[in-house]
Amino acid sequence: MDTQLLISGVIFGLSIGSIFFLLAIGLSLCFGLMRIISLDQLLYYSVGAYITYTIHVATGNTWLGVFGGMVAAGLVSFGVERFVFLRIYERDIAFTMITSFGILFAGVGAIKYIWGLIPRPVPVPIDAQVRILGTGVPVYRLIVIVISLLVYLGIWLFLNRTITGKAIRAGIEDVEHVEGLGVNVYRLFTMTFILAGILSGLAGGLHSSLIMVDPQMGLEVLAFVFMVVIIGGLGSIKGTLASAFIVGQVVSLGSLVYAPLAQMAPFATMLLILLIKPTGLYGSKLLKR
Amino acid sequence: MNVLRWWWGILLAFFLLALVRVFLPLPFANEIIIFSIYTMGCSFLLGRVGFISFGQPAYLAVGAYGTAFYLYYFGHNPYIGILLGILAGLVVSAIVGAFFVRLRSDYFALVNLALAVIIFYLMEKVLAKITHGDNGLWFLANMSSTPGLDLGKPSHFFVFAFLVAMALWAFYKYLDDTIYGACCMATKINEDKLRFLGYSNFSIRWMAFIIANMTTALAGSLYAVYLGFVSPAITHPARAADPVVVTILGGAGTLYGPIVGAIAYTGMKDLLSGFITNWELFIGFVLVFIMLAGEKGIWGTLEPILKKAVFRKKDTAKIST
Repeated sequence: MDTQLLISGVIFGLSIGSIFFLLAIGLSLCFGLMRIISLDQLLYYSVGAYITYTIHVATGNTWLGVFGGMVAAGLVSFGVERFVFLRIYERDIAFTMITSFGILFAGVGAIKYIWGLIPRPVPVPIDAQVRILGTGVPVYRLIVIVISLLVYLGIWLFLNRTITGKAIRAGIEDVEHVEGLGVNVYRLFTMTFILAGILSGLAGGLHSSLIMVDPQMGLEVLAFVFMVVIIGGLGSIKGTLASAFIVGQVVSLGSLVYAPLAQMAPFATMLLILLIKPTGLYGSKLLKR
Repeated sequence: MNVLRWWWGILLAFFLLALVRVFLPLPFANEIIIFSIYTMGCSFLLGRVGFISFGQPAYLAVGAYGTAFYLYYFGHNPYIGILLGILAGLVVSAIVGAFFVRLRSDYFALVNLALAVIIFYLMEKVLAKITHGDNGLWFLANMSSTPGLDLGKPSHFFVFAFLVAMALWAFYKYLDDTIYGACCMATKINEDKLRFLGYSNFSIRWMAFIIANMTTALAGSLYAVYLGFVSPAITHPARAADPVVVTILGGAGTLYGPIVGAIAYTGMKDLLSGFITNWELFIGFVLVFIMLAGEKGIWGTLEPILKKAVFRKKDTAKIST
């Protein structure tokens, strides 16, 4: 395989991995803290992408669109948390999975109703390319990778340097004890959920100019995002970052080797990893409940 | 007496199903029957063993392709095709199940989804020479007409599917009353205690997995024989959640849940989409509403009300005599 193809493949994989990371981090935090499997993150992803498209059409600025998408995704996730999840935090995990799937399904229906069925294009905000080892690499993809790394850094600082973040980390290990210390855990839950929603919206906004925006886009990445969370180990942030980039590379390099591998290889990887280590790469025994 | 009572329930349910055949068009009735067989496996897994699987289309495809390969390349008898479909389901679920049932419920859902995706791409791209890729295998003309029930005719097929569904219902009901059925419930509720009693959780779950997915494979081969063609679309990952949705809609683990759910879901999809363009919105809301109202599903909510009505009538009848 020649180097040019390899480099552009690696960059492509990293940028896809960044999008997966932004989506999966929300799911992972939600699972770690609240013990819910929140498939509706994929809805906020679509909402973010569609708002980006709408604002881009109105103002011509994609970055403004991405920001608007984050805000809208945060608002929608706040509404969903208030009306649905607040009532079911105590329930079984499979139960939350099905409920959130219902929300996702209804949301896809609503998006079809508002924006129609036709896929919409969003232009890339930066057309420029830089040359790395003689290969032209789109700057936008590099920016996506940098943003996701900044988000990882931000979340790491938030969880390790602030009181609220420390409370969330403690909550991931034992919610009852945190509640016993006098922390209002339901406020933590709401904050985490909205944070996850905003990050999903960001992922949608950033991804919108790399693909076509269409109503089924959430369902299309659903399996991949889930895989990232599972491979990384539910509730682990470091693991999510690692597995997001692994899956991104497997998708991208796999497709260079043999086209059908792009969709199949990640799943085969997941099967293999799960059969060897059923808790994922960084999943701890603590999280078994 | 107890035995008689549930037999009456089944007969009544199937009487209603026969009515469906009279009042509704034949394709719709066939769709309902096959879909409810498809859902029965998922309902057993979810309601009795506590496994939620997002990969049922994988086993559906195994059954369908098992039948299709036979009817396209080798033989003409649809009955043998169906038998081979079930056999394929048995082999695949026995091999795969031995690995899968060790996992916890959320991981279990995902590895099944992974299997569905792998089979989808296997059938669409990798084995395209044998499966003809997206074009699918067409073998309607290959099926010979059989004496008795001719499965090539939709009306005869309905009778056959009807009998199969009835037998399956009776089987699952029988399973509920056996010790094995009780063990299934126990492994869902408290696996440590079951192990303490001297049962092996693994073999109970493995067995349940095989039973459920043989049912799913049977539904797949019925699809294949009914439609006369099979394409990879049958295992498309986007349809992966359908059986789970229908199971919840009808009421997980209840006896009549699958059929009520199948009627409701197929009905909503086929009839509602004529009036409202986005039925997904509607089904999504119904699903969330059902979950918030207490996850009992349509049948789970109806059952106590019906029971009350029926038994009150019986009691008053007893008193009057």
